Amino acid sequence: MALMTLRVNGEARDVSVQPHHSLLRVLREELGLLGSKRGCDTGGCGCCSVLVDDKVVYSCMVLAMSCVKKKITTVEGLQVNGALDPLQEAFVRAGAIQCGYCIPGFIMASKDLMRRRRFPSEKEIAQSIAGNLCRCTGYQKIIEAIEMAVSNSNGAG
Amino acid sequence: MNIREASVALAKRSGRAMIVAGGTMVHGLAARGLLGNIKTLIDLQNLGLSYVKSDPKGFRIGAMTTFDEVLNYKPVSKDIAYGALIDAVNLPPAQIRNMATLGGSVCSSTPFFDVPIALMALDADVRAKTSRRQRLIPLNRFFISSFETALKAGEIATEVILRKFPSRTASSLLKLETNANDLAILNVGTRITLDKQSRCIESRIVVGGGVGPVPVNSPSAERKLRRRVLDEDTISEASEATLEDVDPVSDFRGSADYRRAMCKVMTKRALKKALARVRGGM
Repeated sequence: MALMTLRVNGEARDVSVQPHHSLLRVLREELGLLGSKRGCDTGGCGCCSVLVDDKVVYSCMVLAMSCVKKKITTVEGLQVNGALDPLQEAFVRAGAIQCGYCIPGFIMASKDLMRRRRFPSEKEIAQSIAGNLCRCTGYQKIIEAIEMAVSNSNGAG
Repeated sequence: MNIREASVALAKRSGRAMIVAGGTMVHGLAARGLLGNIKTLIDLQNLGLSYVKSDPKGFRIGAMTTFDEVLNYKPVSKDIAYGALIDAVNLPPAQIRNMATLGGSVCSSTPFFDVPIALMALDADVRAKTSRRQRLIPLNRFFISSFETALKAGEIATEVILRKFPSRTASSLLKLETNANDLAILNVGTRITLDKQSRCIESRIVVGGGVGPVPVNSPSAERKLRRRVLDEDTISEASEATLEDVDPVSDFRGSADYRRAMCKVMTKRALKKALARVRGGM
């Protein structure tokens, strides 16, 4: 076991981890942040997606020890003073959430897209969620939600 | 820590330590109980190995450079000569592109990966360093077997070297897969250079994924292209000729017969993709 400090959602958190423990395992089992889900646990389904230094990654494939000194953002870190992030808001309003299991991952992947592209095309939106699986919605409502969030944020800016 | 210290740490724990680059493979190995005697992980992320540098001979790409960083480096990503590499780094989703590194992909020595096939089609070299010396290893001599490279105890791959190619050079990589999350059933990397009469003056054909423990080069296919205009017949002949060099295996992804049939098809398509690039850009 090694002691280290991780910067998660703006807070410094002390954790004790094994060198081969994934970031997902530490987030869920050490820090109790259950928003990031364990789906396939092999970097395929996207349920565990989080941001590391603002870039989306599969937290099941990232070693926790590699994230020391980096900025880690999970879905729990998106809301500001109780107000949902525009992406979360749009997912609710577009009816993009059915069982909801995959949604934190989709939101984190979309967050990365919105950082990179202010006016993404529909194709770019589809490509940005290529690493996330949803077994309920058929993706159309998810794409609509991301489009809604994009146009809302551009309208506000 | 610097590269010298990392090399010493690695050499001292020979067989018991492993280098971590992007780290995307470590968890997979651990989950399948394949970490074996590995007790120490050596993370290279703070050694300044994330870079792409241009020099008169070509480009040097630091081993810790992520797929996404390669994609965002325009002098490489906009040059059709390196199209195979761009095809390969574009295949995985953002979550992988942001983490997986060029050095990690190469040093994993997994014949099912796409980036190593692309880099072999580009005749890339790997720079290996220890605490005392360094050497260049051509990629076609770098892969020894699955999970085994030509790196010796304490040697660390620090960069991948891409050479410059003549004008009218293009490359391509195609992956045949059962689904977007799976490794390749077969993948083919091609590179061609055409002269002013559109004859092929240089080429490289590499096949990977289920054709053996390491990617396979196909000199027979390259001979069929030599000094020829790449019309339908020539491309078909070359694609057929890959079977003289490639001996596919059967596994749960596909039978040897299926792979043989697909080897011809994928080589043909990959060559046409490279040809289209010479004619019309990316």
